[in-house]
Amino acid sequence: MRGVPAELAGLTAWLQGFWDAHALPPESAFTFELALEELFVNIATHGAAPGREPAVEVSLALNDGEVALCLEDDGPAFDPLAAPMPDLDAALEDRPIGGLGIHLLREMMDELEYARLEGRNRLTLRKRIVS
Amino acid sequence: MSVLNTTLETVNGVVVVLPEGRLDYDAAAGFQSTLEQTLAGSDKPRGMIIDCTSLSYVSSAGLRSFLVGARAAKSAGVPFVVCSLSQSVREVFTVSGFSRIIEEHADRAAALAKLG
Repeated sequence: MRGVPAELAGLTAWLQGFWDAHALPPESAFTFELALEELFVNIATHGAAPGREPAVEVSLALNDGEVALCLEDDGPAFDPLAAPMPDLDAALEDRPIGGLGIHLLREMMDELEYARLEGRNRLTLRKRIVS
Repeated sequence: MSVLNTTLETVNGVVVVLPEGRLDYDAAAGFQSTLEQTLAGSDKPRGMIIDCTSLSYVSSAGLRSFLVGARAAKSAGVPFVVCSLSQSVREVFTVSGFSRIIEEHADRAAALAKLG
């Protein structure tokens, strides 16, 4: 699909459909909706050279009570997991704006994995949602 | 398509902001300007409460609008608090460290009592 922010609403609806189809606990969708938004918007806004739209593939899989979300894009090599952690102790005035998305995912997901494969970025996030 | 509706109420000079729906990448800029415009008006409020009773989702883009709003409130000398966070929204606030920089109350009554 096209890596543009306008695609986010449709992707979120698709994710909610996945939750309904597999009768997964609704409250567990939140972390994955968050992951989808943070990563997709990141790719759509930073993941390509000016004037070029990245192509993105998104998939969800349910395996033994664990959901895996995978995003692949054809933008320049970029490992979001290598970003430094934001300063969470900074005062209101000194808080950097941004850098929080990946931090949230690190804390809320069980596993995050980045790979650069055949000219593509692949980010996989996993979390057990059914015990 | 907007998935966030924001209504404003004034209670004893305190503005209560009620975002309903999803505060995501699409909605964040609009929510932020609502906060900024309310604080920049000629009739400066005595305080601002973001009542999150009907806020079902917030992302880092949404957090950013809270941060910008809280900063604008601070420089205007207007106390800024949040209340009635759902479990999921609170988790995002806690993990991001926002609960350390933005005051939270259990519900609207408690927030109004604090600002009253």
